Amino acid sequence: MTALLSIRDLSARVEEKEILSGLSLDVPAGEVHAIMGPNGAGKSTLSYVLTGRPGYEVTSGTASLAGEDLLALEPNERAARGVFLSFQYPLEIPGVPALTFLRTALNAQRKARGEAEIAAPDFLRLVRAKAAALKIDFDMLKRALNVGFSGGEKKRMEILQMSVLEPKLAILDETDSGLDIDAMRIVAEGVNALRAPDRALLVITHYQRLLDYVQPDRVHVLAGGRIVASGGPELAHQLEAEGYDRYGSLAA
Amino acid sequence: MPAVRETAEQVLELERYKHGFITEVDQEFAPKGLTEATIRFISAKKDEPDWMLEWRLDAFRRWQALEEPRWARLEYPPIDYQDAYYYAAPKAKDGPASLDEVDPELLATYAKLGIPLKEQEVLAGVAGAPRYAVDAVFDSVSVVTTFKKELAAAGVIFCPISEAIREHPELVRKYLGSVVPVSDNYFACLNSAVFSDGSFVYVPPGVRCPMELSTYFRINAAESGQFERTLIIADKGAYVSYLEGCTAPMRDENQLHAAVVELVILEDAEIKYSTVQNWYPGDAEGRGGIYNFVTKRADCREDRAKVSWTQVETGSAITWKYPSCILRGNESAGEFYSIAITNNRQQADTGTKMIHLGANTRSRIISKGISAGRSTNTYRGLVSAHPKAKGARNFTQCDSLLIGKQCGAHTTPYIEARNASAHFEHEATTTRLSEDQLFYAMQRGLSQEEAVQLLVNGFVKDVLQELPMEFAVEAQKLVAISLEGSVG
Amino acid sequence: MSLARAIETGDVGLLPSRRDEDWRWSDLRGLIRVAPPASPEWVEPLAPGPFSGADAEEILVVNGRGPDLIVVGPGEKRAIALRLIAAPNAGSHLARLAIEVGEGGELTLLESHEGAGQDYLTASDMTIELGAGAQAERIVLAAESESGVAVSIAKVQLAAGARFEQMVLASGARRERIETVVEHPGAGAFVRLDGVYLLNERRHSDITTVVTHNGVDGITDQLIKGVVQDQARGVFQGRILVAKGADQTDARMGHHALILSDRAEVDAKPELEIWADDVACAHGNTVGALDEDALFYAAQRGIPPDEARALLIQAFVGEAVDRVRHEGAREVARAWVAQRLGASL
Repeated sequence: MTALLSIRDLSARVEEKEILSGLSLDVPAGEVHAIMGPNGAGKSTLSYVLTGRPGYEVTSGTASLAGEDLLALEPNERAARGVFLSFQYPLEIPGVPALTFLRTALNAQRKARGEAEIAAPDFLRLVRAKAAALKIDFDMLKRALNVGFSGGEKKRMEILQMSVLEPKLAILDETDSGLDIDAMRIVAEGVNALRAPDRALLVITHYQRLLDYVQPDRVHVLAGGRIVASGGPELAHQLEAEGYDRYGSLAA
Repeated sequence: MPAVRETAEQVLELERYKHGFITEVDQEFAPKGLTEATIRFISAKKDEPDWMLEWRLDAFRRWQALEEPRWARLEYPPIDYQDAYYYAAPKAKDGPASLDEVDPELLATYAKLGIPLKEQEVLAGVAGAPRYAVDAVFDSVSVVTTFKKELAAAGVIFCPISEAIREHPELVRKYLGSVVPVSDNYFACLNSAVFSDGSFVYVPPGVRCPMELSTYFRINAAESGQFERTLIIADKGAYVSYLEGCTAPMRDENQLHAAVVELVILEDAEIKYSTVQNWYPGDAEGRGGIYNFVTKRADCREDRAKVSWTQVETGSAITWKYPSCILRGNESAGEFYSIAITNNRQQADTGTKMIHLGANTRSRIISKGISAGRSTNTYRGLVSAHPKAKGARNFTQCDSLLIGKQCGAHTTPYIEARNASAHFEHEATTTRLSEDQLFYAMQRGLSQEEAVQLLVNGFVKDVLQELPMEFAVEAQKLVAISLEGSVG
Repeated sequence: MSLARAIETGDVGLLPSRRDEDWRWSDLRGLIRVAPPASPEWVEPLAPGPFSGADAEEILVVNGRGPDLIVVGPGEKRAIALRLIAAPNAGSHLARLAIEVGEGGELTLLESHEGAGQDYLTASDMTIELGAGAQAERIVLAAESESGVAVSIAKVQLAAGARFEQMVLASGARRERIETVVEHPGAGAFVRLDGVYLLNERRHSDITTVVTHNGVDGITDQLIKGVVQDQARGVFQGRILVAKGADQTDARMGHHALILSDRAEVDAKPELEIWADDVACAHGNTVGALDEDALFYAAQRGIPPDEARALLIQAFVGEAVDRVRHEGAREVARAWVAQRLGASL
């Protein structure tokens, strides 16, 4: 069975500098894969290239979702196909209430897929339930998106959006950075609640900590712009104990 | 930099304005007043070629048709342009061939100011400290320029402009007036007619000037105006750092200083221009002091040209100057860092113009104004992006610090954005010295003067760090002296 | 230079020009060769104004003709829909109007500038006086015609403890100038001068404000947002002057503009003239395009580019509109924003 996310020899650059160099990766539906690696290796770059951020230029290779070429699509088109990125630094959008933003996003995606838009009462009911599960105060959602939110609240907002938008491929970029243990637990619970047979989760992280709570099926090491090692969950513990040094030489 | 350190030390020893002494030297003057005859006199004294005289005369005629600008926030009695000497020079034989021929009184003046005329002194200075070459200008005349041979070996031309007019006419003709056109404004026009001396610098392609260059200006003669003209050209890929320092004696009447500085920067080149200006500011009642009307402009003519203006203005009774950058080349960049201090009855109307013409140009403006006494301090700036200046970016921060209740601090920025990808950000704040912070510092043992110095240093830190290191030290001391007695 | 005399006498030489510092970006003399003839009376019926739905008394000033005095007595509360109309036959006219709000009185002034004519030259010269503890909220909705030249000058005087709040909603004209000059006594008085300009085609709008703090303890808070596209030109001049001795003044000014097309222009001059030291004064000015990161964030969530731009621009402008206190006026303002943005995006 073909993987849900399939990347072949992907190379990409930012501001004339090549960051990804021939990266290949397969993530089947229903699985959680972790990407670990030293800083500057290209972990965030991978997430931006997959989601189509301007300024990130693909120089060679392919990436496809359920057999469809992802790289040929605009960012909002990729979202409608089911790609979701939980940002490492979620943005503040002054003047746009979180609820408004989320509903606009959900309806835009539904429209793009030829589905009916969600009615207001149904939307509110849906969000209320999901917010409660993530311990987000519903009133906060009437305020401008992420404005004045703490780091932990912003990350929980990302997971809330993910749970409302129900993506096929969810990329979590350093979701646990800046979180204390309690906040991380809540986020991890939210992520685990989203595991599904038709969904793939790509967890990008520098530290192993989150992976105690969101246990991966596979762990990959990204160094020097490509995957240099892959293994089971025990690979994460090995990295924790030994660091990334041994992969320095492989990263040429 | 030993010279500057000495300057700073001397400065600390004396009372208030340290450079207030007068040098008794044999001088010769042009007849008082300003007529065509005066222009011819000056040109003849400098042994200029005909084209230079014609240039001056043309400027003089244009000046007579112009009107003095009165739009700045400055009040001063009308200037009688006929009641001044437009040329004053220490009497000398045909130019000094070596230091031995220079009037010893002059050398003593410069020694008093700590300027290292004797090259050995400089070379014997602190190991590892950057050496710098000096062109010393006394009233209308450059007295001597140091390190010329060494600079010439690197291909760098550093000499008085009067010499450049004779020795490098093709360069002067090519670039003089190309950044500040003759009739650009009233004072630049006047300068074009009567300019006395100034520095000329040419750095050839790919050369990083091996030492910092400096001109020390001293106005000495009474009732004279000083009109220096500086032209600096950095050819492709060149780099030069230049410092302008100025002093003048204490006199009862006002003296006019109307200078023009033109910088030309070609592809991938960079000029760093720093000014520590300590003209005589007038006494506490506002008598005397220099009127400083200066036009300074940099033309970033080609791609990736870069210029930075750093100024510390603490003297002058009146300051009117707007060092500006024309960002013509794509990806060119201009920076302006300024500390302007006014005390007693000084008035300053100063700022910058950043004209974005090319694509992806950037500019940065940090202006710190400090007002004390009964002074007025205005920041006046223009940031503009031409419709073709795609991606132009500017960041401006103007902060004013008021010391006391009798002074004024003003900000008048003009912002003109003419395309959709320009991004301009401007912030301005006005504050005073925090009584809480002053008390805290004093409670820890600092005197009131020291506490004020500490807080003021914090306020101007962002600009001080842009000055070449040793000059930052001198500037810091100047800042402290200018504000002596302003609190309490 | 005298605008009033220029209109009264037809002498265009008296119109403000580029050489007048305050009019450098809103030259009238170069634009108008011959002054239009004096506006005749308009006797036909008029369409309802933008504030017709509000619970307010309507006062009409048509072609410069109408009441020249509005009084709100001490302790009285009035809401007035003041319509300054340039009728289809408008030429040149000048309207003078004095507004007085007595001690403790409250005025909501829903002021609409309606330009139904073409090629007109109009001016309104207004004085607004607030007594001690009086309040006024003035919402100006300027809907001039594309070919009209309209200048509105309001001089505001406040007594101690008075509260003056203003929102100007400008869509521009051939030349439009909306000027507000406030004498602020300090003395616990509060001034809010907000504005929104949304300009397209070849329209020009100039919002100019001057606030002079003459005494101790006063607050001025200003937020202006602008969006310009096509070949339009937005101008903002804001001067805050704090006189000697006017300590404890708190004056903040913010002007933020978006330029959406390469032939549009924004000119700004946020000025501070400060003669007192125990004050908190600041201004911020930004001109630029929409935040790229915010646009990508919205796109990654599935929102198409046009919709994302519209959402962000609405939010940008909404920050100022949300500050309008009168609920009915705020709804009118929101609808006006939606219509102006929807029309052009």
